Amino acid sequence: MKVGRIIKVSGPLVVAEGMDEANVYDVVKVSDNKLIGEIIEMRGDKASIQVYEETTGIGPGEPVYTTGEPLSVELGPGLVTTMFDGIQRPLDAIRAIAGDFLTRGVEMPGLDREKKWHFTPTVKVGDQVEPGDVIGTVQETTVVLHKIMVPPGVRGKVKSIEEGEFTVVDTVCVVEGDKDYNLQMMQKWPVRRGRPYARKLNPDEPLITGQRVIDTFFPAAKGGTAAVPGPFGSGKTVVQHQLAKWADAEIIVYVGCGERGNEMTDVLMEFPEIKDPRTGESLMNRTILIANTSNMPVAAREASIYTGITIAEYFRDMGYSVAIMADSTSRWAEALREMSGRLEEMPGDEGYPAYLASRAAEFYERAGKVVCLGNDERVGALTVIGAVSPPGGDISEPVSQATLRIVKVFWGLDSSLAYRRHFPAINWLNSYSLYQNKVDEWMDKNIDPDFSKNRIKAMTLLQEESSLQEIVRLVGRDSLSEGDQLKLEAAKTIREDFLQQNAFHEEDTYTSLNKQNLMLKMVLAFYDEGKRALDNGVYLNEILDLPVREKIARAKFIGEDKVSEIENIIDELKNNIDELISKGGILDA
Amino acid sequence: MYKVAVVGDKDSILGFKALGIDVYPVIEKDEARRVVDTLARNKYGIIFITEQTASLIPETIERYNNQMLPAVILIPSNQGTLNIGMDMINKNVEKAVGTNIL
Repeated sequence: MKVGRIIKVSGPLVVAEGMDEANVYDVVKVSDNKLIGEIIEMRGDKASIQVYEETTGIGPGEPVYTTGEPLSVELGPGLVTTMFDGIQRPLDAIRAIAGDFLTRGVEMPGLDREKKWHFTPTVKVGDQVEPGDVIGTVQETTVVLHKIMVPPGVRGKVKSIEEGEFTVVDTVCVVEGDKDYNLQMMQKWPVRRGRPYARKLNPDEPLITGQRVIDTFFPAAKGGTAAVPGPFGSGKTVVQHQLAKWADAEIIVYVGCGERGNEMTDVLMEFPEIKDPRTGESLMNRTILIANTSNMPVAAREASIYTGITIAEYFRDMGYSVAIMADSTSRWAEALREMSGRLEEMPGDEGYPAYLASRAAEFYERAGKVVCLGNDERVGALTVIGAVSPPGGDISEPVSQATLRIVKVFWGLDSSLAYRRHFPAINWLNSYSLYQNKVDEWMDKNIDPDFSKNRIKAMTLLQEESSLQEIVRLVGRDSLSEGDQLKLEAAKTIREDFLQQNAFHEEDTYTSLNKQNLMLKMVLAFYDEGKRALDNGVYLNEILDLPVREKIARAKFIGEDKVSEIENIIDELKNNIDELISKGGILDA
Repeated sequence: MYKVAVVGDKDSILGFKALGIDVYPVIEKDEARRVVDTLARNKYGIIFITEQTASLIPETIERYNNQMLPAVILIPSNQGTLNIGMDMINKNVEKAVGTNIL
């Protein structure tokens, strides 16, 4: 390959000439430090290269070597539990050779070349295989069975296949097609291209997250897309962490994109200690981390999102339900903006490049519930949840708008709720989920036939509360009728005893759907029973003074193994109301 | 058409029957409250209640003070007055004209 020559350096952007043999999106090595870069624009023989490492000390005249390959990730056993940087360099391994901070020009393969994995074949010699067929399995962690698939483009008859301990680059299987393909456990895939699948399905199953406000009111579907916009301090990161911890996906890819390093540290410290409620194993055993914290090179931030989603797609292709959390896509958009500015492109709104919306759409469209390639018609789902950090919390800015146009679930975080210590600070009045209808069907079938009815009832109460609040602000609470005052109290109960959830409390941090259903019934029972009492002449104060209300408030701390206690609370409430009616109720006239 | 009722101990209120007013004798607290609440719902426009009985159920009396109907009017019983009724009128007058003119 011809060697290019640098003619201009502008931060992470390097322009080199003599690059006429290279193609756009090829990976190049810049200068003799071998900094990794990617060509993002070609004009004649001049290539604009975004360099994924610090470019200090690089000057014109230095060489640029083309690799002729697009930016790719290595996919194979060894991904899970590892923490990578934005271009899939394992940070642990880098630390071992370079110390605590990234140094330049460290070359490190994404997957450990030394480690041996036990490969168990699932096909026999002579079997016909197609792209996507599973040829063998590797028990990667205690909970993840890594399926080794035939890479796209390879089809034919299995000529030989072996069981045993192999590294990811050893040949485990030879497929005889139009030529002999030596299959390894590892395959490579360019990050900017979505991995192929047979066909897309409509997402209809909820992604159960254990977060009451999300599961009950604004559910995300498996294979869906969701966005969490919110001003700083409103708990975006905590929401993302909670989802990464408790979502019932089999694989979690967490992309820390341009946020604080401490937040990744939190993940690293907490996840190994938390037990997955479904498998009883450490959460780390199903998690892959991609870290490009705010002090890491900007250009790699742009790539980190693609690296993450390509890895996620790979696990989806195995037929797993995968969820990827990107925190935060605003930093990614800012990285795009920085590069766009240096490329001297015509800026769009707020300086973001004109292609911001199409790039964001490209990313989110890689989500989906799909029938994977391969003969067993397995179904995988890839759920994408992106945090957006609009400056000042104003979602009319371009990144939020571009995101909202594509995603189907919007969890709007509200700084005033956060200020009132209402967490998760998801605003129930402006958030929405477009999967609601599908998920309602699922809930009614699998959890409780009344689930969606109850949800609508609770939401109606919350909406009525907000209009009543306006009256209260004008003329004061006492001027409301007792029925309306009860409504306010019931809405308060829904807010405080159902929506609020403490991420740091052992029991409260995760709520099963069954418990959510009972809790929802309980808070609604308070309204229904209260209304019945009022109709029968009981005074509002007497209802509000019932000691059982404290039990309602504490129901969220009831352990998952004792959820039937909530039914007892409902019964107790009914009995108490009956007593009140028999004592103070009006006579049958 | 609104109706008029009188609530209190039997001895004090029986005489009202002669005037065609509905009479509801009560003895204890819960009973009194329930009777007043029931009357209020059944379109009684004025409920006379003896001061002795009213003193048992101040919450209920207060409740109807804030409503236009029914008008709950306190009357002395056969044992004399406790002055609650007069106090209430004084208060209302003070609220209305700003000073106690009675």
